[in-house]
Amino acid sequence: MVIHIDNKEYNIKSGKNLLEACLSVGLDLPYFCWHPAMGSVGACRQCAVKVYKDENDTKGRLVMSCMEGVKDGLYLSIEDKTAKEFREQVIEWLMTNHPHDCPVCDEGGACHLQDMTVMTGHDYRRFKYKKRTYTNQYLGPLIHHEMNRCIQCYRCVRYYRDYAGGDDLNVFAAHNHVYFGREKDGVLQSPFSGNLSEVCPTGVFTDKTLKEHYTRKWDLTMSPSVCNHCSVGCNTIAAERYGELRCILNRYNGDVNGYFLCDRGRFGYEFVNSENRIKRVIIRNRAGEASTEEELMQHLQPLVSMSKIIGIGSPRASLESNFALMQLVGKQNFYQGISEDEAHLNRVCIDVLQSGSVHSASLKEIEQADAVLVVGEDIWNTAPMMALAVRQAVVKTAGAEASQHVQIPVWLDSAIKELAQEDKGFLAVLNVSASPLDELATHAWHATPDDLSRAAFAIAAYLQPGKLQADNFSEELTNQAKAIGEALKQAKNPVIITGVSSYNDNVIKAAFDIAASLNTAGRKTGMACVMTECNSMGLALMDAPAFNHAMDSVRPNGHATAVILENDLYRHLTPNLVDNFLNKCDHIIVLDSLHNSTTEKASVLLPAATFAEGDGTLVNNEGRAQRFFQVIPNADTQVKESWQWLWKMQMLRSQKVNGHVLHPDELLQKMETDMPQFKGITSVSPGHDYTIHGERIPREPHRYSGRTAIQANKNVSEPKPFYDGDSPLSFTMEGFKGVPPSWAVPFFWAPGWNSVQSVAKYQDEPNGSLKGGNPGVRLLQDKKKENADLFFKDVPEQFVITKDKWLLLPKFHVLGSGELSGYTKALEVLSPELFAIISPKSAEALNVKEGDMLQLTDAGIAYGSLPVKVLDNMCDGVVFVNAGSRGTVGMNWGTRINLAKVN
Amino acid sequence: MTKFSDEKLAKVQEIIARYPDGKQKSALLPVLHLAQEEFGWLSSDTMDYVASLLSIEPIEVYEVATFYSMYNLQPVGRYTFEVCQTGPCMIKGSDDIISYIEQKLNIKPGQTTEDGMFTLKTVECLGACGYAPMMQMGKFYKEHLTKEKVDAIIDECRKTAAANN
Amino acid sequence: MQTLIPHNADESRRMMQSLTNRAKPVDRRPMNFVDRLYLPAVLKGMSITFGHIFKKPPTIKYPEQTREFSPVFRGLHVLNRDEEGRERCTACGLCAVACPAEAITMEAAEREPGEENLYREEKYAARYEINMLRCIFCGLCEEACPKDAIYLSETFAPSNFARKGFIYGKKDLLIPNPVTQPEEYAKAKGKR
Repeated sequence: MVIHIDNKEYNIKSGKNLLEACLSVGLDLPYFCWHPAMGSVGACRQCAVKVYKDENDTKGRLVMSCMEGVKDGLYLSIEDKTAKEFREQVIEWLMTNHPHDCPVCDEGGACHLQDMTVMTGHDYRRFKYKKRTYTNQYLGPLIHHEMNRCIQCYRCVRYYRDYAGGDDLNVFAAHNHVYFGREKDGVLQSPFSGNLSEVCPTGVFTDKTLKEHYTRKWDLTMSPSVCNHCSVGCNTIAAERYGELRCILNRYNGDVNGYFLCDRGRFGYEFVNSENRIKRVIIRNRAGEASTEEELMQHLQPLVSMSKIIGIGSPRASLESNFALMQLVGKQNFYQGISEDEAHLNRVCIDVLQSGSVHSASLKEIEQADAVLVVGEDIWNTAPMMALAVRQAVVKTAGAEASQHVQIPVWLDSAIKELAQEDKGFLAVLNVSASPLDELATHAWHATPDDLSRAAFAIAAYLQPGKLQADNFSEELTNQAKAIGEALKQAKNPVIITGVSSYNDNVIKAAFDIAASLNTAGRKTGMACVMTECNSMGLALMDAPAFNHAMDSVRPNGHATAVILENDLYRHLTPNLVDNFLNKCDHIIVLDSLHNSTTEKASVLLPAATFAEGDGTLVNNEGRAQRFFQVIPNADTQVKESWQWLWKMQMLRSQKVNGHVLHPDELLQKMETDMPQFKGITSVSPGHDYTIHGERIPREPHRYSGRTAIQANKNVSEPKPFYDGDSPLSFTMEGFKGVPPSWAVPFFWAPGWNSVQSVAKYQDEPNGSLKGGNPGVRLLQDKKKENADLFFKDVPEQFVITKDKWLLLPKFHVLGSGELSGYTKALEVLSPELFAIISPKSAEALNVKEGDMLQLTDAGIAYGSLPVKVLDNMCDGVVFVNAGSRGTVGMNWGTRINLAKVN
Repeated sequence: MTKFSDEKLAKVQEIIARYPDGKQKSALLPVLHLAQEEFGWLSSDTMDYVASLLSIEPIEVYEVATFYSMYNLQPVGRYTFEVCQTGPCMIKGSDDIISYIEQKLNIKPGQTTEDGMFTLKTVECLGACGYAPMMQMGKFYKEHLTKEKVDAIIDECRKTAAANN
Repeated sequence: MQTLIPHNADESRRMMQSLTNRAKPVDRRPMNFVDRLYLPAVLKGMSITFGHIFKKPPTIKYPEQTREFSPVFRGLHVLNRDEEGRERCTACGLCAVACPAEAITMEAAEREPGEENLYREEKYAARYEINMLRCIFCGLCEEACPKDAIYLSETFAPSNFARKGFIYGKKDLLIPNPVTQPEEYAKAKGKR
């Protein structure tokens, strides 16, 4: 529809409010309380505009633009004198109590309040009385609290309570002493608390880990990056100064993470700066272990050219690195560095997602689902942002339903909340143990993986009668299946979520059966399979055999060399298996970024780049390939991307020295030709020589300071800036100014918009996609429905609890489970201790109570003993062991093991 | 340990019963009033106790109790002067009344006299603009205040208190 | 339209206008006898020379004496302290962002409890460096500073044998503590 803003015509999508309309056409209008992800409440009175009755009306009336919907032919004015004065006055009264502490405030230079103050033109303080002050609270190691700066926009509690579902942050008191905080000092409990630092328009909540090495936004070198800490693949901005990673910021991607990140993703970056980093080439068993590159090449020459080489790939290394390893060792000698079981489960996920019967759902699609079923995956802990998306699905469905009956648009947040009350969209959670998601669920049921899959098969049987043998389900299961199945049938966009962490392929198969049964005409069904690591999907797509097969390929005295790529094998596999393999190999070449149990066994250790020092591509669980870009210059160090090392080794092996510099895009091109499943991977980002009007995209904002001083204490003669030949981004502040293509947005900034709110200038519309489409390429294309005939019919037997054997399953933790994120001290403090977690009934059977020690043994493997923790709301016959954290070892998950009390 | 008497507990149950099942949080305001009557003021212990009675989180009680000026989050004196300072009262001279009381009792708004007799508070509109300037003392409105009237009120309070002891 | 572009060298000389009217034509007549004696010219010259003996000398005896500075003179930078001797700089970065030569860089740190006597506000510059080789002494840093923490003094940048010596750190820039070293402080502070 057409509306007139300051006598100019604009085409606007209907259903928006005036503020969204103004922002979507690129106009500047100040606001505070409105947030694109949270809707309008009209609390701050900042976005006032004049609306006119018709074109002849000159008087008009002031309205809050966020509270009024667009109408066809509407006349409004942003520039009107009264409206401008009104907005300036609002800022003036907000500023009566706001301290003038911008120089010490962490938000300074990226502050929405600063921007809006300048935008409205308020520049002189007339209020001459004392400002009100507050006592700040300790909110844990992640978030810093400075209440004096508060302007009472209520965004924090609306985000924390309504959006993220936290209940320990609230608003207290009234009038001019409103207080946002906890009931008393303490750690914020929500694993999404880090977003407060971006949601808060000023510096009340700031990133505490950034305080350790604070840098202003304008002084950061920033790159588009992808989170490394789970399989969801949220888009991030990695920021560097003085060769150190300073912070991780959210990078908007309308299809994936939107405006938010989880705390593991936001704060889990400090491993990059860890003292435990491998920074030098190390050749063991000789006088000087630290070596130069030349020495290394001499040493490697016989190793790579003569013997049999076995490559062990990694689910956390980039596609490029894995592929370069495959190129080096040959396809027949390349193995996934994960257990047979996990590889099998990943394979099942890919098979069902590629079958053509279902659509692999993005986070955005999950957020928009009107019914969600979670089967056998503790997404709160394994894919936190997916849990947040599920929460939105549940809340928004209720809101959308409520708004249909009355004439209230969905963005009118408080009215919709009032209307929906405690109504929720449909969510069923069938899981092994309880999670905070259960509170939202219409159905929450806890059982062993086998029983979960039976329950899911029962639903599939209800949805497609006749296809499955339905008579061996219990009455309870049938009734439950009926209830859930009926709700899913009602939905137009149902999503089925499952994953590998219950180590049971039947769970995935049954979830697929449900999704496939629902995927009928008039209904768009999505399915999401959660995996363990950031590139699990990418590695699995390469279709290589699992680690266990590598064992068979090495004969004793076969003079084999193992090349292990960025993988602590002891975390993914049982220790005896890894030891066996490594003992068989003559030489062990390990490429990794941090010292761990596997790198200790290396005879040659190569310093690999982390996501911050290198370029690469990761595939998330949706099948979306996304590129991350280097942000820390590595010219002075030996640290190189693994694929660069592997390329050098390949040159050695083929004895070709042609001086060719390899670029990641060449690797991807080769990959696309060699492996058809990666079709489209080259379009994730253009080649390294891409420019815009001959200019590269600067990683540094144009206000970047200290360019001639920053290196001066090391080298007075100012070496030329680091040249990154691998990507179209440059390590300077010169280059293309303006909105870069969406895959190459190193930071969000627009004239007058220094804060993260500037993202609106990079979007088609608030909450919409980035200009030119959201980044990332989906590798799992939806196929035609006709050739879909996959349907699993083998329903497993009911799980039988035995007296002496317990099913061993991993228990992940939202903050603690991450090999790399554990290096962040703040997260380490918040992660749980190692426990053997059992149900009260199991504890009774074992005659143990909380705190006792349990011995875990599995057919000859002794896992040692762990203290007992008793958990209500989990099924019997299962023992959980904390997994994924630093220092944990791989176990035979999904097998039955013996438990015995240690006296 | 803060705890209601059995009689008061029965009253709490009665209040909770006014609301539908699962909506016991709605009883929060009257129960807080009850608690204030019983214990004089709302300490965090008292509020935690109220939270446990209504099976809600303590933070939800704090949120409400801090919002209303009628709930005392600090110990108060025997008599509380809640002087209205909103527009109409202010125009009619509430500022003078406040400073007169401050001077006479030697306390600032929010404070209590040393003998525990009087607490001075400033509040927003009490809906008696026609009788400005005015204040609330317990359950009573004291209207058309003048310095003399304030003197009389304070004297009367002292007298009553002395008589009751 | 008439063109003003000269077509050759002659024309260009003709078109050239003199910039001032102080040009004096050179006297190219051959010298006569008196001229050839050179004595009048020598005497004229000597009279100017000896005349200066009775004039006020324009030079001063540097370094014993120093010249009065203009009030807007911009010399070496000083990182200032407040009257209690606490560092004023909060490492906000505004001087660095204002610097046209991009010669300032700093790293911020949080003040720990117990350090209140060292730093004025809760943040301070743990590292503060100016590359004096790059600095153009424009004084924009002083202008940008919201805390009166940096100003340009009356001191010149001293000479140095190594280029490295021109990378000024905090210890070179920080003014002496007015409480513990009042004399040094007064000297460093100068007349501002």
